[in-house]
Amino acid sequence: MIAVFTKYKQAFILGLQSNLVYRWNFLARGVFSLLHLVAAFILWGAIFTIKPTIGGFNLAQTITYFITLIILQFFIGAFNEDFQISEEIRNGLINQFILKPINYYLYRFSVFIAARLVSGALVLIPLIIILPWIGNYLALPHELWRYVYAMPAMVMAAIIQFTIAYCFGMLSFWFLDIQGFVILSFAIETALGGQTFPLDLMPKAIFHIAQFLPFFYQMYFPAAIITGRIGPELIVQGFIIQAFWVLFLLIAAQLLWIRGLKRHTAVGG
Amino acid sequence: MNYFKIWLAGARYSLARTLMFRGDFFIWSMVELLWMGVNLLLVAVIYQHTPSIAGWTEYEMVILVGTGMLVQRLLMGFFWTNLFELGRNVRTGAFDFFLSQPGHPLFMASTRKLDPDGLANSFVALGVVIFAVHKLNLHPSFIDIVAYGLVILAGLAIHYSILVLTMALSFWLTSTSGIEGTYFALTEFSRLPRGAFNGFARLVFVWILPLVVVSNTPSEILLHGFKFSWALSLIGLAILWLTLAIFVFNRGLKRYASASS
Repeated sequence: MIAVFTKYKQAFILGLQSNLVYRWNFLARGVFSLLHLVAAFILWGAIFTIKPTIGGFNLAQTITYFITLIILQFFIGAFNEDFQISEEIRNGLINQFILKPINYYLYRFSVFIAARLVSGALVLIPLIIILPWIGNYLALPHELWRYVYAMPAMVMAAIIQFTIAYCFGMLSFWFLDIQGFVILSFAIETALGGQTFPLDLMPKAIFHIAQFLPFFYQMYFPAAIITGRIGPELIVQGFIIQAFWVLFLLIAAQLLWIRGLKRHTAVGG
Repeated sequence: MNYFKIWLAGARYSLARTLMFRGDFFIWSMVELLWMGVNLLLVAVIYQHTPSIAGWTEYEMVILVGTGMLVQRLLMGFFWTNLFELGRNVRTGAFDFFLSQPGHPLFMASTRKLDPDGLANSFVALGVVIFAVHKLNLHPSFIDIVAYGLVILAGLAIHYSILVLTMALSFWLTSTSGIEGTYFALTEFSRLPRGAFNGFARLVFVWILPLVVVSNTPSEILLHGFKFSWALSLIGLAILWLTLAIFVFNRGLKRYASASS
Protein backbone atom coordinates (compact mmCIF):
# COMPACT_ATOMS: atom_id res chain seq x y z
CA MET A 1 0.00 0.00 0.00
CA ILE A 2 2.77 2.39 1.01
CA ALA A 3 4.77 1.32 -2.04
CA VAL A 4 1.81 2.23 -4.25
CA PHE A 5 1.56 5.60 -2.58
CA THR A 6 5.28 6.31 -3.03
CA LYS A 7 5.04 5.40 -6.69
CA TYR A 8 2.38 8.00 -7.41
CA LYS A 9 3.99 10.49 -5.06
CA GLN A 10 6.91 10.51 -7.47
CA ALA A 11 4.54 11.21 -10.34
CA PHE A 12 3.02 14.01 -8.28
CA ILE A 13 6.42 15.59 -7.59
CA LEU A 14 7.32 15.24 -11.26
CA GLY A 15 4.05 16.96 -12.17
CA LEU A 16 4.76 19.72 -9.70
CA GLN A 17 8.15 20.39 -11.25
CA SER A 18 7.06 20.25 -14.86
CA ASN A 19 4.10 22.52 -14.18
CA LEU A 20 6.20 25.07 -12.36
CA VAL A 21 8.03 25.44 -15.68
CA TYR A 22 4.77 26.79 -17.10
CA ARG A 23 4.17 29.23 -14.26
CA TRP A 24 4.12 32.25 -16.59
CA ASN A 25 1.64 30.49 -18.81
CA PHE A 26 -0.71 29.85 -15.89
CA LEU A 27 -0.23 33.38 -14.62
CA ALA A 28 -1.14 34.73 -18.06
CA ARG A 29 -4.23 32.53 -18.06
CA GLY A 30 -5.10 33.92 -14.65
CA VAL A 31 -4.94 37.43 -16.07
CA PHE A 32 -7.16 36.38 -19.00
CA SER A 33 -9.77 35.13 -16.58
CA LEU A 34 -9.74 38.55 -15.00
CA LEU A 35 -10.83 39.90 -18.40
CA HIS A 36 -13.67 37.40 -18.23
CA LEU A 37 -14.48 38.76 -14.78
CA VAL A 38 -14.48 42.33 -16.09
CA ALA A 39 -16.90 41.30 -18.87
CA ALA A 40 -19.15 39.58 -16.31
CA PHE A 41 -18.98 42.66 -14.13
CA ILE A 42 -20.01 44.99 -16.97
CA LEU A 43 -22.85 42.74 -18.13
CA TRP A 44 -24.28 41.98 -14.69
CA GLY A 45 -23.64 45.52 -13.50
CA ALA A 46 -25.89 46.74 -16.32
CA ILE A 47 -28.53 44.11 -15.54
CA PHE A 48 -28.67 45.05 -11.87
CA THR A 49 -29.13 48.77 -12.52
CA ILE A 50 -32.87 48.28 -12.99
CA LYS A 51 -33.42 45.43 -10.53
CA PRO A 52 -31.92 45.05 -7.05
CA THR A 53 -31.98 41.24 -7.12
CA ILE A 54 -32.04 38.57 -9.81
CA GLY A 55 -33.03 35.04 -8.88
CA GLY A 56 -32.94 36.17 -5.25
CA PHE A 57 -29.33 37.38 -5.33
CA ASN A 58 -27.86 40.87 -5.50
CA LEU A 59 -24.99 42.13 -7.67
CA ALA A 60 -22.29 41.41 -5.08
CA GLN A 61 -23.53 37.84 -4.60
CA THR A 62 -23.61 37.29 -8.36
CA ILE A 63 -20.09 38.67 -8.84
CA THR A 64 -18.92 36.50 -5.93
CA TYR A 65 -20.28 33.51 -7.83
CA PHE A 66 -18.13 34.35 -10.86
CA ILE A 67 -15.03 34.98 -8.74
CA THR A 68 -15.57 31.62 -7.02
CA LEU A 69 -15.84 29.96 -10.44
CA ILE A 70 -12.49 31.37 -11.52
CA ILE A 71 -10.75 30.16 -8.37
CA LEU A 72 -12.40 26.73 -8.67
CA GLN A 73 -11.45 26.48 -12.31
CA PHE A 74 -7.78 26.89 -11.51
CA PHE A 75 -7.94 24.50 -8.54
CA ILE A 76 -10.12 21.68 -9.89
CA GLY A 77 -10.70 22.31 -13.61
CA ALA A 78 -9.20 20.24 -16.41
CA PHE A 79 -7.06 22.43 -18.67
CA ASN A 80 -5.35 20.56 -21.49
CA GLU A 81 -5.09 17.13 -19.91
CA ASP A 82 -7.08 15.72 -22.84
CA PHE A 83 -4.51 16.96 -25.35
CA GLN A 84 -1.58 15.81 -23.23
CA ILE A 85 -3.03 12.31 -23.01
CA SER A 86 -3.80 12.35 -26.72
CA GLU A 87 -0.18 13.34 -27.43
CA GLU A 88 1.13 10.52 -25.26
CA ILE A 89 -1.03 8.00 -27.02
CA ARG A 90 -0.15 9.19 -30.50
CA ASN A 91 3.59 9.44 -30.05
CA GLY A 92 3.79 6.14 -28.22
CA LEU A 93 4.75 7.43 -24.78
CA ILE A 94 2.07 5.27 -23.21
CA ASN A 95 3.93 2.15 -24.30
CA GLN A 96 6.13 2.40 -21.22
CA PHE A 97 3.05 2.31 -19.00
CA ILE A 98 1.86 -0.92 -20.54
CA LEU A 99 5.12 -2.57 -19.57
CA LYS A 100 5.48 -1.15 -16.06
CA PRO A 101 3.35 -1.77 -12.98
CA ILE A 102 1.92 1.74 -13.13
CA ASN A 103 -1.72 2.52 -13.63
CA TYR A 104 -1.90 5.15 -16.35
CA TYR A 105 -5.05 6.76 -14.94
CA LEU A 106 -3.54 7.13 -11.46
CA TYR A 107 -0.30 8.41 -12.93
CA ARG A 108 -2.11 11.09 -14.96
CA PHE A 109 -4.34 11.94 -12.01
CA SER A 110 -1.30 12.48 -9.77
CA VAL A 111 0.16 14.83 -12.37
CA PHE A 112 -3.24 16.56 -12.65
CA ILE A 113 -3.38 17.23 -8.89
CA ALA A 114 0.12 18.68 -8.99
CA ALA A 115 -0.76 20.87 -11.97
CA ARG A 116 -3.89 22.21 -10.23
CA LEU A 117 -1.99 23.04 -7.07
CA VAL A 118 0.41 25.12 -9.15
CA SER A 119 -2.26 26.83 -11.26
CA GLY A 120 -4.54 27.32 -8.23
CA ALA A 121 -1.78 29.04 -6.30
CA LEU A 122 -0.92 31.21 -9.30
CA VAL A 123 -4.46 32.46 -9.96
CA LEU A 124 -4.59 33.76 -6.42
CA ILE A 125 -1.84 36.27 -7.25
CA PRO A 126 -3.80 38.45 -9.72
CA LEU A 127 -6.92 38.04 -7.57
CA ILE A 128 -5.14 39.29 -4.46
CA ILE A 129 -3.75 42.21 -6.45
CA ILE A 130 -7.24 43.31 -7.53
CA LEU A 131 -8.73 42.60 -4.10
CA PRO A 132 -8.93 46.32 -3.19
CA TRP A 133 -11.29 46.80 -6.16
CA ILE A 134 -13.36 43.64 -5.88
CA GLY A 135 -13.37 43.47 -2.08
CA ASN A 136 -16.68 45.36 -1.90
CA TYR A 137 -18.31 42.78 -4.16
CA LEU A 138 -17.33 39.73 -2.14
CA ALA A 139 -20.42 38.47 -0.38
CA LEU A 140 -19.96 34.93 0.91
CA PRO A 141 -22.49 33.29 3.24
CA HIS A 142 -21.38 32.80 6.84
CA GLU A 143 -22.70 29.28 7.40
CA LEU A 144 -19.79 27.02 8.29
CA TRP A 145 -21.44 23.84 6.98
CA ARG A 146 -21.21 25.20 3.43
CA TYR A 147 -17.42 25.16 3.49
CA VAL A 148 -17.38 21.70 5.06
CA TYR A 149 -19.67 20.28 2.36
CA ALA A 150 -17.85 22.16 -0.38
CA MET A 151 -14.73 20.07 0.19
CA PRO A 152 -16.06 16.65 -0.91
CA ALA A 153 -18.05 18.40 -3.68
CA MET A 154 -14.82 19.93 -4.98
CA VAL A 155 -12.91 16.67 -4.79
CA MET A 156 -15.59 14.82 -6.74
CA ALA A 157 -15.88 17.72 -9.19
CA ALA A 158 -12.13 17.49 -9.81
CA ILE A 159 -12.44 13.75 -10.48
CA ILE A 160 -15.33 14.37 -12.89
CA GLN A 161 -13.43 17.12 -14.71
CA PHE A 162 -10.26 15.08 -15.00
CA THR A 163 -12.01 11.86 -15.99
CA ILE A 164 -14.00 13.56 -18.76
CA ALA A 165 -10.73 14.96 -20.11
CA TYR A 166 -9.13 11.53 -19.73
CA CYS A 167 -11.95 9.89 -21.70
CA PHE A 168 -11.55 12.43 -24.49
CA GLY A 169 -7.83 11.71 -24.50
CA MET A 170 -8.63 8.00 -24.84
CA LEU A 171 -10.52 8.77 -28.06
CA SER A 172 -7.08 9.16 -29.67
CA PHE A 173 -6.99 5.38 -29.92
CA TRP A 174 -9.75 5.70 -32.52
CA PHE A 175 -9.41 9.20 -33.98
CA LEU A 176 -6.45 11.12 -35.33
CA ASP A 177 -7.59 14.51 -34.07
CA ILE A 178 -9.66 14.98 -30.93
CA GLN A 179 -9.66 18.79 -30.92
CA GLY A 180 -13.13 19.00 -32.44
CA PHE A 181 -14.64 16.72 -29.78
CA VAL A 182 -12.90 18.58 -27.00
CA ILE A 183 -14.10 22.03 -28.03
CA LEU A 184 -17.57 20.64 -28.71
CA SER A 185 -17.84 19.33 -25.18
CA PHE A 186 -16.19 22.49 -23.86
CA ALA A 187 -19.12 24.50 -25.24
CA ILE A 188 -21.61 22.21 -23.50
CA GLU A 189 -19.61 22.25 -20.28
CA THR A 190 -19.37 26.04 -20.38
CA ALA A 191 -23.12 26.47 -20.62
CA LEU A 192 -24.38 23.57 -18.51
CA GLY A 193 -21.52 23.80 -16.02
CA GLY A 194 -22.64 27.28 -15.03
CA GLN A 195 -19.70 29.25 -16.47
CA THR A 196 -21.75 31.77 -18.42
CA PHE A 197 -24.59 32.23 -15.93
CA PRO A 198 -25.58 30.73 -12.57
CA LEU A 199 -27.63 27.66 -13.51
CA ASP A 200 -30.36 28.49 -10.99
CA LEU A 201 -31.40 31.40 -13.23
CA MET A 202 -32.62 28.92 -15.86
CA PRO A 203 -36.32 28.10 -15.96
CA LYS A 204 -37.21 25.64 -13.18
CA ALA A 205 -37.87 22.70 -15.51
CA ILE A 206 -34.53 22.99 -17.32
CA PHE A 207 -32.67 23.55 -14.05
CA HIS A 208 -34.23 20.34 -12.81
CA ILE A 209 -33.03 18.40 -15.86
CA ALA A 210 -29.54 19.93 -15.59
CA GLN A 211 -29.27 18.54 -12.06
CA PHE A 212 -29.08 15.05 -13.48
CA LEU A 213 -26.27 15.80 -15.94
CA PRO A 214 -22.58 15.45 -15.09
CA PHE A 215 -21.81 19.05 -16.10
CA PHE A 216 -23.84 20.35 -13.17
CA TYR A 217 -21.35 18.69 -10.82
CA GLN A 218 -18.09 19.68 -12.44
CA MET A 219 -18.21 23.33 -11.46
CA TYR A 220 -21.62 24.70 -10.55
CA PHE A 221 -22.37 22.35 -7.64
CA PRO A 222 -19.36 23.21 -5.44
CA ALA A 223 -19.58 26.88 -6.46
CA ALA A 224 -23.27 26.99 -5.56
CA ILE A 225 -22.62 25.39 -2.18
CA ILE A 226 -19.93 27.96 -1.37
CA THR A 227 -21.86 31.00 -2.60
CA GLY A 228 -25.17 29.99 -1.05
CA ARG A 229 -27.05 29.37 -4.30
CA ILE A 230 -28.01 25.84 -3.23
CA GLY A 231 -29.91 25.24 0.00
CA PRO A 232 -29.47 22.28 2.36
CA GLU A 233 -32.45 20.50 0.76
CA LEU A 234 -30.59 19.92 -2.51
CA ILE A 235 -27.27 18.90 -1.04
CA VAL A 236 -27.90 15.24 -0.21
CA GLN A 237 -29.49 14.61 -3.59
CA GLY A 238 -26.57 16.47 -5.19
CA PHE A 239 -23.96 14.33 -3.49
CA ILE A 240 -25.72 11.13 -4.54
CA ILE A 241 -25.91 12.16 -8.20
CA GLN A 242 -22.36 13.51 -8.14
CA ALA A 243 -21.06 10.22 -6.69
CA PHE A 244 -22.98 8.34 -9.38
CA TRP A 245 -21.27 10.36 -12.13
CA VAL A 246 -17.86 9.86 -10.55
CA LEU A 247 -18.42 6.11 -10.60
CA PHE A 248 -19.89 6.13 -14.10
CA LEU A 249 -17.01 8.12 -15.56
CA LEU A 250 -14.37 6.03 -13.80
CA ILE A 251 -15.88 2.89 -15.31
CA ALA A 252 -16.13 4.53 -18.73
CA ALA A 253 -12.49 5.62 -18.53
CA GLN A 254 -11.37 2.12 -17.62
CA LEU A 255 -13.43 0.57 -20.44
CA LEU A 256 -12.05 3.04 -22.98
CA TRP A 257 -8.52 2.26 -21.82
CA ILE A 258 -8.99 -1.51 -22.12
CA ARG A 259 -10.75 -1.23 -25.46
CA GLY A 260 -8.26 1.31 -26.75
CA LEU A 261 -5.24 -0.79 -25.87
CA LYS A 262 -6.66 -3.61 -27.96
CA ARG A 263 -6.56 -1.31 -30.97
CA HIS A 264 -3.23 0.17 -30.06
CA THR A 265 -0.10 -0.86 -31.88
CA ALA A 266 3.19 0.09 -30.30
CA VAL A 267 5.53 0.84 -33.17
CA GLY A 268 9.29 1.32 -33.13
CA GLY A 269 11.85 0.50 -30.50
CA MET B 1 -6.48 41.14 -59.76
CA ASN B 2 -3.41 39.03 -59.34
CA TYR B 3 -4.10 38.81 -55.61
CA PHE B 4 -7.65 37.71 -56.30
CA LYS B 5 -6.37 34.88 -58.48
CA ILE B 6 -4.01 33.74 -55.73
CA TRP B 7 -6.83 33.89 -53.21
CA LEU B 8 -9.12 31.92 -55.50
CA ALA B 9 -6.51 29.19 -55.89
CA GLY B 10 -6.22 28.96 -52.10
CA ALA B 11 -10.00 28.87 -51.74
CA ARG B 12 -10.30 26.08 -54.28
CA TYR B 13 -7.64 24.08 -52.47
CA SER B 14 -9.43 24.56 -49.12
CA LEU B 15 -12.76 23.44 -50.53
CA ALA B 16 -11.21 20.33 -52.01
CA ARG B 17 -9.62 19.62 -48.63
CA THR B 18 -12.95 20.02 -46.87
CA LEU B 19 -14.55 17.54 -49.23
CA MET B 20 -11.81 15.11 -48.32
CA PHE B 21 -12.38 15.47 -44.57
CA ARG B 22 -16.16 15.69 -44.40
CA GLY B 23 -16.27 14.36 -40.83
CA ASP B 24 -14.04 17.20 -39.68
CA PHE B 25 -16.23 19.73 -41.43
CA PHE B 26 -19.28 18.34 -39.67
CA ILE B 27 -17.69 18.37 -36.21
CA TRP B 28 -16.27 21.89 -36.56
CA SER B 29 -19.58 23.20 -37.85
CA MET B 30 -21.23 21.70 -34.80
CA VAL B 31 -18.59 23.27 -32.56
CA GLU B 32 -19.27 26.75 -33.86
CA LEU B 33 -23.02 26.21 -33.89
CA LEU B 34 -22.93 25.14 -30.25
CA TRP B 35 -20.83 28.13 -29.23
CA MET B 36 -23.33 30.45 -30.83
CA GLY B 37 -26.04 28.53 -29.00
CA VAL B 38 -24.24 29.17 -25.70
CA ASN B 39 -24.25 32.92 -26.37
CA LEU B 40 -27.92 32.95 -27.29
CA LEU B 41 -28.75 30.83 -24.25
CA LEU B 42 -27.16 33.47 -22.03
CA VAL B 43 -29.42 36.11 -23.60
CA ALA B 44 -32.50 33.91 -23.24
CA VAL B 45 -31.78 33.16 -19.58
CA ILE B 46 -31.01 36.74 -18.58
CA TYR B 47 -34.17 38.13 -20.20
CA GLN B 48 -36.21 35.68 -18.13
CA HIS B 49 -35.33 37.98 -15.25
CA THR B 50 -35.18 41.45 -16.73
CA PRO B 51 -36.91 43.35 -19.54
CA SER B 52 -33.81 45.25 -20.68
CA ILE B 53 -30.05 45.55 -20.36
CA ALA B 54 -28.62 49.06 -20.74
CA GLY B 55 -31.75 49.95 -22.71
CA TRP B 56 -31.66 46.92 -25.04
CA THR B 57 -34.66 44.60 -25.14
CA GLU B 58 -34.32 40.86 -25.71
CA TYR B 59 -34.47 40.75 -29.50
CA GLU B 60 -32.40 43.92 -29.81
CA MET B 61 -29.81 42.05 -27.79
CA VAL B 62 -30.15 39.05 -30.13
CA ILE B 63 -29.32 41.39 -33.04
CA LEU B 64 -26.25 42.58 -31.14
CA VAL B 65 -25.08 39.08 -30.25
CA GLY B 66 -25.88 37.83 -33.76
CA THR B 67 -23.94 40.68 -35.34
CA GLY B 68 -20.98 40.04 -33.05
CA MET B 69 -21.11 36.37 -34.04
CA LEU B 70 -21.36 37.24 -37.72
CA VAL B 71 -18.14 39.27 -37.64
CA GLN B 72 -16.42 36.56 -35.64
CA ARG B 73 -17.57 33.73 -37.94
CA LEU B 74 -16.32 35.66 -40.97
CA LEU B 75 -12.98 36.07 -39.24
CA MET B 76 -12.95 32.34 -38.46
CA GLY B 77 -13.88 31.45 -42.01
CA PHE B 78 -11.40 33.65 -43.83
CA PHE B 79 -8.44 34.22 -41.54
CA TRP B 80 -8.38 32.36 -38.23
CA THR B 81 -6.50 29.15 -39.13
CA ASN B 82 -3.96 31.10 -41.15
CA LEU B 83 -3.18 33.58 -38.42
CA PHE B 84 -3.24 30.92 -35.73
CA GLU B 85 -0.63 29.00 -37.70
CA LEU B 86 1.38 32.18 -38.27
CA GLY B 87 2.56 32.12 -34.66
CA ARG B 88 3.65 28.51 -34.93
CA ASN B 89 5.27 28.99 -38.34
CA VAL B 90 7.36 31.91 -37.16
CA ARG B 91 8.65 29.81 -34.28
CA THR B 92 9.45 26.74 -36.36
CA GLY B 93 10.79 28.60 -39.36
CA ALA B 94 8.07 27.24 -41.64
CA PHE B 95 7.20 30.87 -42.26
CA ASP B 96 10.01 30.92 -44.87
CA PHE B 97 7.53 29.30 -47.22
CA PHE B 98 5.40 32.46 -47.33
CA LEU B 99 8.35 34.73 -48.01
CA SER B 100 9.03 32.95 -51.25
CA GLN B 101 5.51 33.46 -52.58
CA PRO B 102 4.34 35.99 -55.16
CA GLY B 103 2.70 38.54 -52.89
CA HIS B 104 3.05 40.47 -49.65
CA PRO B 105 3.85 37.96 -46.87
CA LEU B 106 0.94 39.19 -44.74
CA PHE B 107 -1.52 38.61 -47.57
CA MET B 108 -0.04 35.22 -48.39
CA ALA B 109 0.08 34.14 -44.75
CA SER B 110 -3.46 35.23 -43.94
CA THR B 111 -5.32 33.92 -46.97
CA ARG B 112 -3.80 30.50 -47.57
CA LYS B 113 -6.68 28.50 -46.14
CA LEU B 114 -10.42 28.98 -45.87
CA ASP B 115 -12.55 27.38 -43.21
CA PRO B 116 -15.84 26.45 -44.86
CA ASP B 117 -17.35 25.58 -41.47
CA GLY B 118 -16.81 29.14 -40.26
CA LEU B 119 -18.32 30.49 -43.47
CA ALA B 120 -21.28 28.11 -43.22
CA ASN B 121 -21.92 29.32 -39.71
CA SER B 122 -21.73 32.96 -40.73
CA PHE B 123 -24.98 32.22 -42.59
CA VAL B 124 -26.42 30.85 -39.36
CA ALA B 125 -25.35 34.04 -37.55
CA LEU B 126 -26.92 36.11 -40.30
CA GLY B 127 -30.05 33.99 -39.93
CA VAL B 128 -30.14 34.82 -36.22
CA VAL B 129 -29.93 38.54 -37.02
CA ILE B 130 -32.67 38.30 -39.67
CA PHE B 131 -34.87 36.33 -37.27
CA ALA B 132 -34.52 39.03 -34.60
CA VAL B 133 -35.15 41.81 -37.15
CA HIS B 134 -38.33 39.99 -38.14
CA LYS B 135 -39.37 39.51 -34.51
CA LEU B 136 -38.94 43.22 -33.83
CA ASN B 137 -40.94 43.99 -36.95
CA LEU B 138 -38.16 46.18 -38.31
CA HIS B 139 -38.06 47.15 -41.96
CA PRO B 140 -34.54 48.35 -42.71
CA SER B 141 -34.27 50.28 -45.98
CA PHE B 142 -31.97 49.27 -48.80
CA ILE B 143 -29.43 51.87 -47.69
CA ASP B 144 -29.53 50.51 -44.13
CA ILE B 145 -28.78 47.01 -45.39
CA VAL B 146 -25.91 48.16 -47.60
CA ALA B 147 -24.53 50.23 -44.71
CA TYR B 148 -24.87 47.22 -42.39
CA GLY B 149 -22.83 45.13 -44.82
CA LEU B 150 -20.19 47.83 -45.14
CA VAL B 151 -19.71 48.32 -41.41
CA ILE B 152 -19.61 44.55 -40.93
CA LEU B 153 -16.67 44.49 -43.36
CA ALA B 154 -15.06 47.37 -41.46
CA GLY B 155 -15.60 45.41 -38.25
CA LEU B 156 -14.03 42.34 -39.84
CA ALA B 157 -10.99 44.47 -40.75
CA ILE B 158 -10.71 45.65 -37.14
CA HIS B 159 -10.96 42.12 -35.73
CA TYR B 160 -8.44 40.95 -38.31
CA SER B 161 -6.05 43.75 -37.36
CA ILE B 162 -6.30 42.97 -33.66
CA LEU B 163 -5.61 39.30 -34.36
CA VAL B 164 -2.64 40.17 -36.60
CA LEU B 165 -1.26 42.47 -33.90
CA THR B 166 -1.62 39.67 -31.34
CA MET B 167 -0.04 37.01 -33.49
CA ALA B 168 2.72 39.33 -34.72
CA LEU B 169 4.01 39.24 -31.15
CA SER B 170 5.51 35.89 -32.09
CA PHE B 171 8.19 37.78 -34.04
CA TRP B 172 9.42 39.16 -30.73
CA LEU B 173 8.52 36.46 -28.23
CA THR B 174 9.74 32.91 -28.43
CA SER B 175 6.69 31.19 -27.02
CA THR B 176 3.29 32.48 -27.98
CA SER B 177 1.23 29.39 -27.36
CA GLY B 178 -2.08 30.37 -25.86
CA ILE B 179 -1.70 33.95 -27.02
CA GLU B 180 -4.74 33.55 -29.28
CA GLY B 181 -6.67 33.26 -26.02
CA THR B 182 -6.27 37.04 -25.72
CA TYR B 183 -8.42 37.48 -28.79
CA PHE B 184 -11.20 35.26 -27.41
CA ALA B 185 -11.07 36.95 -24.04
CA LEU B 186 -11.48 40.30 -25.79
CA THR B 187 -14.33 39.26 -28.08
CA GLU B 188 -16.44 38.60 -25.03
CA PHE B 189 -16.76 42.37 -24.75
CA SER B 190 -18.09 42.69 -28.29
CA ARG B 191 -21.35 41.05 -27.22
CA LEU B 192 -22.15 43.77 -24.71
CA PRO B 193 -24.13 46.94 -25.37
CA ARG B 194 -22.13 50.15 -25.52
CA GLY B 195 -24.27 51.72 -22.82
CA ALA B 196 -23.21 49.12 -20.27
CA PHE B 197 -19.65 50.43 -20.23
CA ASN B 198 -18.76 53.16 -17.77
CA GLY B 199 -15.67 55.05 -16.74
CA PHE B 200 -12.38 53.25 -17.29
CA ALA B 201 -13.95 50.24 -19.01
CA ARG B 202 -15.58 52.62 -21.49
CA LEU B 203 -12.25 54.23 -22.25
CA VAL B 204 -10.52 50.89 -22.82
CA PHE B 205 -13.12 48.81 -24.62
CA VAL B 206 -15.04 51.45 -26.51
CA TRP B 207 -12.36 53.96 -27.38
CA ILE B 208 -8.94 52.34 -27.24
CA LEU B 209 -9.94 48.84 -28.43
CA PRO B 210 -12.96 49.36 -30.69
CA LEU B 211 -14.40 45.87 -30.14
CA VAL B 212 -17.63 47.14 -28.66
CA VAL B 213 -18.20 49.58 -31.50
CA VAL B 214 -17.68 46.82 -34.06
CA SER B 215 -20.81 44.97 -32.97
CA ASN B 216 -22.83 47.92 -31.69
CA THR B 217 -22.65 50.16 -34.76
CA PRO B 218 -24.09 47.69 -37.29
CA SER B 219 -26.79 46.66 -34.80
CA GLU B 220 -27.76 50.27 -34.24
CA ILE B 221 -28.02 50.78 -37.99
CA LEU B 222 -30.60 47.97 -38.14
CA LEU B 223 -32.44 49.23 -35.08
CA HIS B 224 -32.42 52.98 -35.55
CA GLY B 225 -31.51 53.52 -39.18
CA PHE B 226 -28.33 54.53 -40.92
CA LYS B 227 -26.36 57.47 -39.56
CA PHE B 228 -23.56 58.68 -41.78
CA SER B 229 -21.26 59.69 -38.91
CA TRP B 230 -21.37 56.25 -37.22
CA ALA B 231 -20.53 54.36 -40.35
CA LEU B 232 -17.83 56.78 -41.37
CA SER B 233 -16.12 56.67 -37.97
CA LEU B 234 -16.12 52.88 -37.99
CA ILE B 235 -14.62 52.76 -41.48
CA GLY B 236 -12.04 55.34 -40.38
CA LEU B 237 -11.20 53.18 -37.37
CA ALA B 238 -10.86 50.13 -39.59
CA ILE B 239 -8.35 51.91 -41.83
CA LEU B 240 -6.43 53.10 -38.79
CA TRP B 241 -6.22 49.64 -37.23
CA LEU B 242 -5.36 47.95 -40.50
CA THR B 243 -2.52 50.41 -41.07
CA LEU B 244 -1.23 49.78 -37.56
CA ALA B 245 -1.41 46.01 -38.04
CA ILE B 246 0.46 46.14 -41.36
CA PHE B 247 3.07 48.47 -39.87
CA VAL B 248 3.70 46.22 -36.86
CA PHE B 249 3.72 43.11 -39.05
CA ASN B 250 6.33 44.66 -41.34
CA ARG B 251 8.46 45.64 -38.37
CA GLY B 252 8.22 42.08 -37.10
CA LEU B 253 9.11 40.73 -40.50
CA LYS B 254 12.41 42.59 -40.34
CA ARG B 255 13.21 40.75 -37.12
CA TYR B 256 12.36 37.37 -38.56
CA ALA B 257 15.54 35.37 -38.84
CA SER B 258 14.08 31.99 -39.77
CA ALA B 259 15.10 28.96 -37.77
CA SER B 260 18.24 27.00 -38.30
CA SER B 261 17.95 23.30 -38.70
